[in-house]
Amino acid sequence: MKNKTTRFLSVSIVVIIALCVSVFSFLAYYMNRKSMETISEVGTIYMTGMNERISIHFQTAIETRLAQVEALAKLYPQDTDMEAEKESLAYNAKARELDYLALCSESGEFQMLYGDRIEIIDPQPFVESLKQGVKKVAVGTDSAGNRLVLMAIPASYVMSDGRPCAALVAGIPADYIRDILALDENNTLVYSHIIRMDGSFVIRSADAYRESYFDRIRGTFGEAEKEKAEWYVSQLAQAMSRDEEYSCIMQIGSETRHLYCEKLPYSEWYLVTIMPYDTLNATVGNLNRQWGYMVLGSCSLVLGSLLIVFVKYFKLLREQMEELDKAREEAIEASRAKSEFLSNMSHDIRTPMNAIVGMTAIATANIGNIQQVQNCLKKITMSSKHLLGLINDVLDMSKIESGKMTLNMDQASLREVMDSIVNIVQPQVKAKNQQFEVLIRDIIAENVCCDSVRLNQVLLNLLSNAVKFTPDGGSIRVTMYQEPSPRGEGFVRNHILVEDTGIGMSQEFKEKIFDSFSREDSTRVRKTEGTGLGMAITKYIVDTMEGTIQVDSEQGKGTCFHLILDLEEALVQEEDMILPRWDMLVVDDDHLLCESVVASLKEIGINAEWTLDGESALEMVEKRRREKREYQIILVDWKLPGIDGIETARRINRSLSGEDIPIILISAYDWNEIEAEARDAGISGFISKPLFKSTLFYGLRPYMGSADCKKEEQKASEDNRDLQGRHILLAEDNELNWEIAYELLSELGLDLEWAENGKICTDKFIRSEPGYYDAVLMDIRMPVMTGYEAARAIRATDRKDSDIPIIAMTADAFAEDIKKCLDCGMNAHVAKPIDVREVSRLLKKYMK
Amino acid sequence: MSLKECYVSLEGDYEDVLGRLRSERLVQKFVLKFLNDGSYDLLCRSLESGDYGEAFRAAHTIKGVCQNLSFTKLYASSNQLTEALRSGWSQKAAGLVEQVKQDYEQTVAAIRELQKETGA
Repeated sequence: MKNKTTRFLSVSIVVIIALCVSVFSFLAYYMNRKSMETISEVGTIYMTGMNERISIHFQTAIETRLAQVEALAKLYPQDTDMEAEKESLAYNAKARELDYLALCSESGEFQMLYGDRIEIIDPQPFVESLKQGVKKVAVGTDSAGNRLVLMAIPASYVMSDGRPCAALVAGIPADYIRDILALDENNTLVYSHIIRMDGSFVIRSADAYRESYFDRIRGTFGEAEKEKAEWYVSQLAQAMSRDEEYSCIMQIGSETRHLYCEKLPYSEWYLVTIMPYDTLNATVGNLNRQWGYMVLGSCSLVLGSLLIVFVKYFKLLREQMEELDKAREEAIEASRAKSEFLSNMSHDIRTPMNAIVGMTAIATANIGNIQQVQNCLKKITMSSKHLLGLINDVLDMSKIESGKMTLNMDQASLREVMDSIVNIVQPQVKAKNQQFEVLIRDIIAENVCCDSVRLNQVLLNLLSNAVKFTPDGGSIRVTMYQEPSPRGEGFVRNHILVEDTGIGMSQEFKEKIFDSFSREDSTRVRKTEGTGLGMAITKYIVDTMEGTIQVDSEQGKGTCFHLILDLEEALVQEEDMILPRWDMLVVDDDHLLCESVVASLKEIGINAEWTLDGESALEMVEKRRREKREYQIILVDWKLPGIDGIETARRINRSLSGEDIPIILISAYDWNEIEAEARDAGISGFISKPLFKSTLFYGLRPYMGSADCKKEEQKASEDNRDLQGRHILLAEDNELNWEIAYELLSELGLDLEWAENGKICTDKFIRSEPGYYDAVLMDIRMPVMTGYEAARAIRATDRKDSDIPIIAMTADAFAEDIKKCLDCGMNAHVAKPIDVREVSRLLKKYMK
Repeated sequence: MSLKECYVSLEGDYEDVLGRLRSERLVQKFVLKFLNDGSYDLLCRSLESGDYGEAFRAAHTIKGVCQNLSFTKLYASSNQLTEALRSGWSQKAAGLVEQVKQDYEQTVAAIRELQKETGA
């Protein structure tokens, strides 16, 4: 796969480079050619123009001169004796700047009239034209060999030999023409010659020294290019003979010349104009060169960028390949881990299953032996619980992996959560003889919104791991504290720490601990049971709750898990947790706990002091006694450094005179075993750690009877102002229940009336003034007419107060019963046995 | 015998009732009053006459009173009997009736002891 891509890429790179280069080269070449052609055209146009100009110039000049000659001829009529007029002829000629004047016979002989003797160079065509009566210009020489331009107009003067002449010929130096035509201008790029059809010069520019222009061409070309020269010459000659214009570009060595040839009027002469191309060429060459560079530049730019793109793409591709490989390996690894897990799982599941099957068989075989059967059932229960745990873990894991685990947010009491897990862990701790401490402090909100089931799961997992991996006699500690949450108002940050002095874990494992299916691979761990899923599930739950979990551990020393969760405070109407202003003493060896408990007690309204051990506690109690302001309640921890809590209590009691001070034992351990011994020592009660504020409140409240509670009553009566004097109809068939209810509720200031059954209740209601009764407390199970029927009847009355609050009291608290109550029109339901506070709350809520 | 001891004797929950009624005096008053409660007699009578509907109500009432007074043991058996009688007479109910009778006797015995002590 890799190779195919590489090959494709390399091939395409090469192709594209080739393409680019060829395209750009073609462009360059084409442009070059096109520009050459254009230059040639431009040159031709220019040359033609030049030539025409010169030609016209020539024509004009010649015509002017010919006109002069004609004018001269006019002066002398046809039959003038030219010989005799020589003087005036001379004068006229000079006046017109004519250097020579002669008569030309038909055979080409000249009879001089003025000036020296002249001869014509090529008489034949000259005479021919004259015969036809055409004005003509030709070249001649004088006796000195200087060139002359001869202008002839047809005339028929009588010559000295008596024959008529063909023409009157005037001569001027050839240089005149040259000057006129500015053929010799050195400054111009362009220079011209006038030649005859055979190539000989009529007028030549200064630097032309040969007789024949053809020779000049040949000479310029040199021996090396003789053939080329001959070709040009023949071409030129042909064109001249055909009377055609001729234009060509001659490449002479490294020079280029543009040659243009045209016949001049009035003569057998040809005007040849030559323009060296080089300057033009140079310019164009420059242009071409620049163009070439540009092309090269752009080509390389395009190629370069293409190359970069290709390279980058290639790199990307390779990266992707690598990632793919990595992903594949990870998948393989995960799959392998899963297979390993599956095989481990199967073994782990099979073991308890086998136990169950075996135990069932034994039980069946020994069905008569109750003890045996009980034993087996106990073992079956344990194994099935264990099995269920394993299966639950696996189910949770698969739910997590398919992303289906959601949290059920609900109000949860942290106190209840902690209490329940402490309860669950206690037997395990006891079995391994471990020390167990639970500490809470700085609790801002006891009730929060969270998924308590999942939270339980997490904490239990951490705790059971702690118990599992800590050897006998080790210690485990759970700490919980809160602080304001950065998430804002209404949120509180919970810190939960689970510390143990267990076997700890290695550095490598610490990093992998939260991976699924991972368990430390070492013999000591393999002995302990478990699916290896617990941590992964825990981590997942914590993540879903948007919290964090950190682990700190050292092999051989211990482990600490730190759980941080930001939870929303639950808006729970907390009743005022206030107790009388007791003097309390708190005895516990944990300094932090003492401070925290004293702070919570202060919030409840209790003044408390604390100390760290039993001996100092005894001293403090003794001191207070002497001062005659004894402690009213003492909280003492079971495990203390010196004498333990029970012994402390025993000693306090022994030295007590008169009243029993309630001494309450606080502990994280299970109360049941030591209860007997504790009660013997004089301990009145037990409060289980962790000590939330509400734990303390509910735990201490029962002791209000034995302590001074006048203040409490006062406060209660203040609260119950709205209940004062209200008329309540109470329907209850049992007298004892009625009396109890009456006693309790009249304390609130309520005025109660008794109805022995539903019918009497309804009657009393109907007979009363509307608004007399403020509420009805309705028992359900009554003779004659049940509470349901009575409620329906009351609601059906056509009175102003038919919507009187009706509160059901029932010992049946099934959901169907409650629903039935509400269906009959009752407002609320309160369970039996009667709870005064709840009744008063509901009454306050529903009464107007 | 103190009130607390009485509760121990009838296997009730003294702490619980104290928390509810808040005063020993009240607890004592109602405990003694329990002797006069007619629900138990009603239960026995209706069982004899075969009126299981009445029996059910009587058991239910006993259960309620036990709840109020935290007579935990008697509550447990009367509760079970109530549930059993909810659907009418059955073999199970018969067994439970025995238990209730037993527990009632135990409770009443303890209260009578208390009565003697307090001279009420």
